[in-house]
Amino acid sequence: MPELIKITSLTKTYKLGDEILNALDNVTLNIRAGEFVAITGPSGSGKSTLANIISGLDRPTKGSIIVDGSDLSKMKDRKLSDYRNKNLGYVFQSFNLQGNQTALENVMMPMYFSRVGHKDRHKRARECLESVGLGDRINHKPGQLSGGQRQRVAIARALALNPKIIIADEPTGNLDSVKGQEILSVLKDLNEQGITLIIITHDQTIAREASRIIKIHDGKVRLR
Amino acid sequence: MRFLDYIFLALRNISRQKLRSALTIFAIVIGSTSVAIMLTIVFSAKNFINSQFEKNGTFQQIEVSPQQSIQWGRNNQGCNSQSSVTGCVNITDSIVNKISKLPHVIGVTKEIAVQGAFDGLFYGHKKLQVMQVLAYDANGIVTSSMLAGRDIRPSDGPGVITITSDYANALGFKNNYSKLIGQTVILHSTAFYSGVGSNPVAQSQYIQQFCNNSTNQCSPPATELKAKIIGISNSNSPIGPGRYTIRVPMSWATGMEEQQSVQYPSSQLKVTNLLTQNGYSQLIVKVDNASNAANVAQTIRKDFGVGAADAETAIKQQLSIFNIIGYILGGIGGIALVVAAVGVVNTMIMSILERTREIGVMRAVGARRSTINRLFTFEASLLGLLGGALGVLLCYLLTLAGNPLINNQLKGNNISSQNILAMPTWLILSVIIGTTVIGLLAGLYPARRAARLDPVEALRFE
Ligand SMILES: Nc1ncnc2c1ncn2[C@@H]1O[C@H](COP(=O)(O)OP(=O)(O)O)[C@@H](O)[C@H]1O
Ligand SMILES: [Mg+2]
Repeated sequence: MPELIKITSLTKTYKLGDEILNALDNVTLNIRAGEFVAITGPSGSGKSTLANIISGLDRPTKGSIIVDGSDLSKMKDRKLSDYRNKNLGYVFQSFNLQGNQTALENVMMPMYFSRVGHKDRHKRARECLESVGLGDRINHKPGQLSGGQRQRVAIARALALNPKIIIADEPTGNLDSVKGQEILSVLKDLNEQGITLIIITHDQTIAREASRIIKIHDGKVRLR
Repeated sequence: MRFLDYIFLALRNISRQKLRSALTIFAIVIGSTSVAIMLTIVFSAKNFINSQFEKNGTFQQIEVSPQQSIQWGRNNQGCNSQSSVTGCVNITDSIVNKISKLPHVIGVTKEIAVQGAFDGLFYGHKKLQVMQVLAYDANGIVTSSMLAGRDIRPSDGPGVITITSDYANALGFKNNYSKLIGQTVILHSTAFYSGVGSNPVAQSQYIQQFCNNSTNQCSPPATELKAKIIGISNSNSPIGPGRYTIRVPMSWATGMEEQQSVQYPSSQLKVTNLLTQNGYSQLIVKVDNASNAANVAQTIRKDFGVGAADAETAIKQQLSIFNIIGYILGGIGGIALVVAAVGVVNTMIMSILERTREIGVMRAVGARRSTINRLFTFEASLLGLLGGALGVLLCYLLTLAGNPLINNQLKGNNISSQNILAMPTWLILSVIIGTTVIGLLAGLYPARRAARLDPVEALRFE
């Protein structure tokens, strides 16, 4: 399998007054297309920072991150936004759904930004919800859904535009272990369909399912 | 993002915070309604007046007066031998002839204002003051709108008059004008009247006897002329003379302008005519096309040294006051709109603060900075658009409510015009476009702020 994500000597520095904090410190790692990678590490070690940089939400201070041949750190906002839109699905710990909108409307959101027409938008959103097992909940609002169901809506949203990569930052962190396992199996199914899956987690039972575990400590990566 | 999707999402956001959006829009409605209604009133009034004049062909008319400096408006007193007005040129028949031969001139009306000859109009016990006795040969140029009876005709001889509706009202015939037709009234002269119908012999004797001695009061007996009312004209007709005007046939007015006196000791009757001495009080010159009026007026001034004023120039000047009023009133509404714009800025900043996390999510799933910027700019513009549209609607409802009141008022003044309050299309469009632009401008800064939010921080925002 070819390398999909190539991270080289990547450093992310935060300045808090006089203090300088390297949230990521000279990180180098590669992820191949179709891989299922778990990123683990103690709280504050830089996992989310790494996830944000891979997902194009944040930019490195130094070093490069090349996804599918293009350097994210050199992209203008327009291209980077399109990258997030088309190549990447982000699943949050806290779901980040719009409480006043139905599951269907939430899933449709990324499709507005890539100019998918009204009809196709509805069709695709329905498909995505069906594929995560929520075909009978499309008109429910997040408040009417359980935590596990909410996270599935979020996964459906991440799926909407057929991303190459799904990155989930502690997707089971707000769920009990049974629901967590359910979410994991949904994500694993997607990985089996060819989507590169990166899960950030504390939970060793989840991490063990991955084909590779990347451990981060104080912003440094120890490959295994 | 697609244009329609921007509108859809902006509308969805507006309807999410119903009360806040409604209050913001309400402020815009107040501003836009006041601008719209004020401008509607001003422009409707202007249109109304303009149309009244246009209907009467007034813009094709030029007033010519012996006095060089005249104001358009048919109240020029002309010149007479007693008056000390300087710069007077007698308007003789020869001048009238020459004017009527000028290019573009299609007709001339001669007017005689009988000055200072009569002071009272008597009918039964009623004694009314006479303001103006006037004669003119209408010539199809000047038309009076008659409320009852008929207008004076060239064939009419001495002894008939028309009076204005205000006179008829004062005589107690309001809404009953036709009852006055055929009634005889008395025109009561001033003391020294010596025109047609007077007794110059008796008057001269009286003057001889009593007026050479300054200690005596000198008041020769007045003359009373019988006059039959044949028509009531509308006091409000913008073309007509003053509100209280008595119109007489030309032949009678010519007689009234005579001055007769008996010479002593020869006892010879001496007759002079003020008309030949002073000329006509005024001419109304009609030109073929309103656009030629100003030029012809200038030619008349230059060639004959008389005063000449065209209606259009004068009316346009007078109407410019409406423009000024319009701008002032519109300005007040404009201030309301500025305040409303501040409301939009406030609403948008609040809404963006509340939706920080949502903005983060939108960015995470692929919204560009420009997308976020446009989305919020659309939202603010839409607030403006809705406010403007509702404002125009409210203004329209106000004109619907106002028109019957004004119609009534006009009817009371014998003007048949209906529903003069009307919003011109350009006003509707400018108000709606204007408020939309105001909303857009008010949205620029908040939208920029929203677009510049860092997505990671926005997602972490509680
Ligand atoms: N915006 C920021 N400003 C300053 N420090 C930050 C910021 N974001 C993260 N950090 C710091 O960077 C380190 C890594 O954070 P994070 O990637 O969120 O850790 P993890 O997800 O592994 O818990 C932490 O010490 C955190 O305090
Ligand atoms: Mg984290």
